[in-house]
Amino acid sequence: MCASVKHSSRGPALIPRMKTKHRIYYVALFSVVLLGLLATGVFQFWPHSIEASGDWAVEKRSAAVPVVRLPRDSPVPERGDLSCRMHTCFDVYRCGFNPKNKIKVYIYSLKKYVDELGAPVSSTISREYNELLAAIADSDYYTDDISRACLFVPSIDLLSQHALRIRETAQALAQLSRWDRGTNHLLFNMLPGGPPDYNTALDVPRDRALLAGGGFSTWTYRQGYDVSIPVYSPLSAEVALPEKGPGPRRYFLLSSQMAIHPEYREEIEALQAKHGEAVLVLDKCTNLSEGVLSIRKRCHKHQVFDYPQVLQEATFCVVLRGARLGQAALSDVLQAGCVPVIIADSYILPFSEVLDWKRASVVVPEEKIADVYSILQSIPRRQMEEMQRQARWFWEAYFQSIKAIALATLQIINDRIYPYAAISYEEWNDPPAVKWSSVSNPLFLPLIPPQSQGFTAIVLTYDRVESLFRVITEVSKVPSLSKLLVVWNNQNKNPPEDSLWPKIRVPLKVVRTAENKLSNRFFPYDEIETEAVLAIDDDIIMLTSDELQFGYEVWREFPDRLVGYPGRLHLWDHEMNKWKYESEWTNEVSMVLTGAAFYHKYFNYLYTYKMPGDIKNWVDAHMNCEDIAMNFLVANVTGKAVIKVTPRKKFKCPECTAIDGLSLDQTHMVERSECINKFASVFGTMPLKVVEHRADPVLYKDDFPEKLKSFPNIGSL
Amino acid sequence: MQFWRRRSLWLALSASSLLLTLLGFFPFLRLAVSPRPQPAAPQGWPRWLDTASLRSFSQPEEPPEDVPQPPQAPHGTSCSWGICFDTSRCRGDGLKVFAHAAAQPTSEMHRRILASLEGSRYHTRNLTEACLLFVLSPEDPDGQCGPAPQHWNGGRNHLVIRLHPDPCPQASQLGQAMVAQASPRVDTFRPGFDVALPLLPEAHPFRGGAPGQLQQHSPHPRAALLALAEEGGRWRTAGTYSSTCPWDGHCEQDLGPKQTRPEEKLPNATFCLIPGQRAEASRFLQALQAGCIPVLLSPHWELPFSEVIDWTKAAIVADKRLPLQVLAALQEMAPARVLALRQQTQFLWAAYFSSVEKVIHTTLEIIQDRILGASAHPSLLWNSPPGALLALSIFSRSPQDFPFYHLQQGSRPEGRFSALIWVGTSSQHPLKLIQAVAGSQHCAQILVLWSSEKPLPLKWPETTVPLTVMDGHRKVSDRFFPYSAISTDAILSLDAHSSLSTSEVDFAFVVWQSFPERMVGFLTWNHFWDETRSGWGYTAEMANEFSMVLTAAAFYHRYYHTLFTHSLPKALRTLADEAPACVDVLMNFLVAAATKLPPIKVPFSKQHRGAAPLAPRIPASGSQPQPPHQDCINRMVAEFGHMPLVPSRLRLDPVLFKDPVSVQRKKYRRLEKP
Repeated sequence: MCASVKHSSRGPALIPRMKTKHRIYYVALFSVVLLGLLATGVFQFWPHSIEASGDWAVEKRSAAVPVVRLPRDSPVPERGDLSCRMHTCFDVYRCGFNPKNKIKVYIYSLKKYVDELGAPVSSTISREYNELLAAIADSDYYTDDISRACLFVPSIDLLSQHALRIRETAQALAQLSRWDRGTNHLLFNMLPGGPPDYNTALDVPRDRALLAGGGFSTWTYRQGYDVSIPVYSPLSAEVALPEKGPGPRRYFLLSSQMAIHPEYREEIEALQAKHGEAVLVLDKCTNLSEGVLSIRKRCHKHQVFDYPQVLQEATFCVVLRGARLGQAALSDVLQAGCVPVIIADSYILPFSEVLDWKRASVVVPEEKIADVYSILQSIPRRQMEEMQRQARWFWEAYFQSIKAIALATLQIINDRIYPYAAISYEEWNDPPAVKWSSVSNPLFLPLIPPQSQGFTAIVLTYDRVESLFRVITEVSKVPSLSKLLVVWNNQNKNPPEDSLWPKIRVPLKVVRTAENKLSNRFFPYDEIETEAVLAIDDDIIMLTSDELQFGYEVWREFPDRLVGYPGRLHLWDHEMNKWKYESEWTNEVSMVLTGAAFYHKYFNYLYTYKMPGDIKNWVDAHMNCEDIAMNFLVANVTGKAVIKVTPRKKFKCPECTAIDGLSLDQTHMVERSECINKFASVFGTMPLKVVEHRADPVLYKDDFPEKLKSFPNIGSL
Repeated sequence: MQFWRRRSLWLALSASSLLLTLLGFFPFLRLAVSPRPQPAAPQGWPRWLDTASLRSFSQPEEPPEDVPQPPQAPHGTSCSWGICFDTSRCRGDGLKVFAHAAAQPTSEMHRRILASLEGSRYHTRNLTEACLLFVLSPEDPDGQCGPAPQHWNGGRNHLVIRLHPDPCPQASQLGQAMVAQASPRVDTFRPGFDVALPLLPEAHPFRGGAPGQLQQHSPHPRAALLALAEEGGRWRTAGTYSSTCPWDGHCEQDLGPKQTRPEEKLPNATFCLIPGQRAEASRFLQALQAGCIPVLLSPHWELPFSEVIDWTKAAIVADKRLPLQVLAALQEMAPARVLALRQQTQFLWAAYFSSVEKVIHTTLEIIQDRILGASAHPSLLWNSPPGALLALSIFSRSPQDFPFYHLQQGSRPEGRFSALIWVGTSSQHPLKLIQAVAGSQHCAQILVLWSSEKPLPLKWPETTVPLTVMDGHRKVSDRFFPYSAISTDAILSLDAHSSLSTSEVDFAFVVWQSFPERMVGFLTWNHFWDETRSGWGYTAEMANEFSMVLTAAAFYHRYYHTLFTHSLPKALRTLADEAPACVDVLMNFLVAAATKLPPIKVPFSKQHRGAAPLAPRIPASGSQPQPPHQDCINRMVAEFGHMPLVPSRLRLDPVLFKDPVSVQRKKYRRLEKP
């Protein structure tokens, strides 16, 4: 391709210098070469049938697939062992230690099995099983190294028992190279059993192999060992049903399945007779013209409906068991966002180990068919809409393609083997919209830590030793202080000698940092043993002992929040169309300064290791806004507002007017506003919460003797 | 010159044609050489070109020929909910439980179980209206199975409680009865039908129970990583983060430093290793109580209440065959996960396990959920605080209707409130109050609950919001009835003689929106432990702490009306009716038991305090002899099983409250008028 571009750019430069006669000749020649190169290039990138990626054509497949002849007396596995559990039948040693916590899956290569007479054991691989194996091979689970594999998937298609010769198929399984009584082998089957008794699990003897089956009943399903999967509906790929908003639809209840037992059909038709228009019962069409796919049409008397489109017209859709418990109709119904009403006693719903079907379906015992209508009527509208959304989401995530089914199955097995890395209930079940808007507070347990624990004060300092010593002396007067940690951020200067430090009643530790970075104040130092941390600047000498002790008491009541003194606010600037930082006297707060603030030490860990985007580096580079970043982080992870304590409005001290003067500076305000805008864009949202309250002691400014108040020395600005 | 030009052109042309040939020819070369994929290359599953021509696995289903029979169990003895339980008997009022006469208490534990059952709102003394029959399996460890009780009916709609793992080996004898068994074997447990109970120690308390031991959210940095269950009910604490194998003989390395503290009944570590044998199941509860994350090594028993509790949030079920892998995983577990697991152990302990009463009520709630079907508790309500026993499904099934789940749901409480004014026997007409409340921009409606002997006044003030007058039953507990007329999440509960300004109401409501699960009030009481009488007392004296707010003027979520009416024992509600001052204590107990948090106090102007006392029912101060109703706090502690009240030392004020700035800047300036 590169060559052709080069030629075409050279071409026009040469041509004008030649005579007209030659020009035509050369132009023609060049075009031929150019076309040739282009064609070659295209051919190179066109999907090939012969490339190493392993694409085979039909005739190649028949040539390439080795034939295995099964002797009549080749071994047959035991029937499935019903007592199997992961810790008895599964060889977990094969999965071993895996830093990524991902199982490795091997797929046996395709072989053609024939019996002694040369007759094939099964028909060719089905479209779906081919898709399933391709999905596994494309996933992170796949390995081509049989010795490293933890799970083995045969390429023998067992999706439908209908097409199988049971004994011979079992023999074929038994001679797989790592069969070993089926240990760690995963078999996929969607249509189990056959006439007349339609067993609910695959009848092929399979010994200890795990079965991912569609249509398990409680008797055949080995809880925690087998995986219950959906029966894939080929209509999922054929028909695109656009998502329809939740809400009541034209029909309240719809029955659309064709193969329903007459007795049940009678009962449902009785419902229709009783409730009229609200219930629609469809059956297969008898009078369709030639060429119309009967699978895609349903009829009620002489009225013809398109299937599965008609499902979108119904709020609830009956999914009744037929000969088998698992029905492909379930997938169609979910796709249409219709709430499935599952009437199939003892049916194990697809992926029931992880999916919460109560949120997406209504299960009705078979003997209660007659009551279905009243049961459904009792469901409040909001819950019904929730179920419609949930049904559609289940289809999108776990039903819509063979790939989705295969990956969910492997994920379930993976979660059993690596339980510490398992996917949570919320990740499996919450639709994306809920996942986005919900907050899971890392400190959700309502717990007021005992006062005796105390707090650790962390003073970040550079070289203001005198001021630092005053801060240390002041803070050490606070009764609940349990340790003081000085973070020495100056690499060019040693901290003062031990003897020069103020003598205080609690342990004092000095940590030297490798680099002068603001984020050092939020590092989760091993020395921090208490949960409460007081971050304090080396120039905050104006806070009284009462104020600090009261701040700690407030933190104990709100251990999941930032508890600080001066409050700040973010505002939307309508003129500039962006966020603005506000430090004026306002009735609202959304941030507190971390020049002196209490918070849980877990937020140090989050700040250092889980800060989104480049915020941490950005703060260190600009030497500003670490406090705003902390406010954003805590508000985002907890969904809660800060607590401002006491009336204090600013940190002002006689010695540090220069600093305070700076913070009032206009450029400073502009910078702080920029920080808010930058962080809001990194977080993708504005997590800060605005409140109109602050915390004061119960008796603050009340008419009560000052000396009886717990925190009398509070109130200066 | 032209020759050179032509020659260079020819050169270029031949070069490119050579390139063309080479490029074009190679693929054909490869075609000729290798018609099948090279075994060495990473191959994956081949991409067939003809997938379209492959047949689909599915075929149209033939209708079942015979009368459909539900798939049969291999032995005919197994049961499932849909088949063996007759829910039609539970229509009407839902679950009603009758304790069988045969189940006379034979031990202290049995007595506690029966008492718990009788305290349940599902209990009935009438056999005919019962839809579930409760049978206590005799506590004979030898496995003596008592004779079937009367009305056994093949065990249909019976629940057999077995506190010992294996009292009665003949499972078949139970017929269609559900079995609630302590630590049942996984292979005989019938999910969705049986109920797995925890293995309770003999001395498990009846009510309340010991609180969880966790004092801090995150593990202490010096706390041990592992505790191991040892014989004799002890725990051995393994050294911090030693990379060795601390249990059985699988690994031969040194165990590292270890401290054995045999005197400790409860482990003090981040993780607790519990072997899988059923005999060790009792360790599970100990670990939960201690806030030690249980790590179960291939358990042979079903985890308690596994039907509703998502144990992956509180425990780790690991494979005992991979000890080193388990250990490595524990050491490397992300702090966020450790934090979440720890807190969940404590929540679950306190919500479902800490007393016999909770265990029995949870069992009944699970069965009630099965009966309710679609309107059962969603998983969120079972698995996050305050738990399903305190989040009643009769209130709503949507989590966002409750005050507890706004964060998880990404929702917010409504921006309006309903004022509920209670007019008691001796109250005057609440005219001024109605005007002040109606003046609030957040007020949606005003409800007057007329409980006075006086006739209803004919004239009511003109208000901008709808005003409804309801006739009460002269009972104090009426105030907290879940009236359907209440249309908002927030209720402002008021007494007729309360006196509030619009500013106060506005500010208090804005605060409540930040704390929708708590009570937000103006006047407070404080409880204290009275050494002299060795009992609890409470006082209205001004103090540096408080633990209750008066319902004569308080905001709270309307859910608490449902909780008050449906979850409190009848005895307590009667108590409140008899001694009206107790109703405030009771409501505060209820909310504190649900939230485990103190209420919130907001400021109110002194003017009201002097003129018209907001709290006429202020009890006498602690030092004086207390009136009889003072004892209600102790009766409530007895009924709740513990003291749920939590003290607070703060008040939430407006940001500029009493600051020396211009009043014009302040939003709630009326609050500060002297």
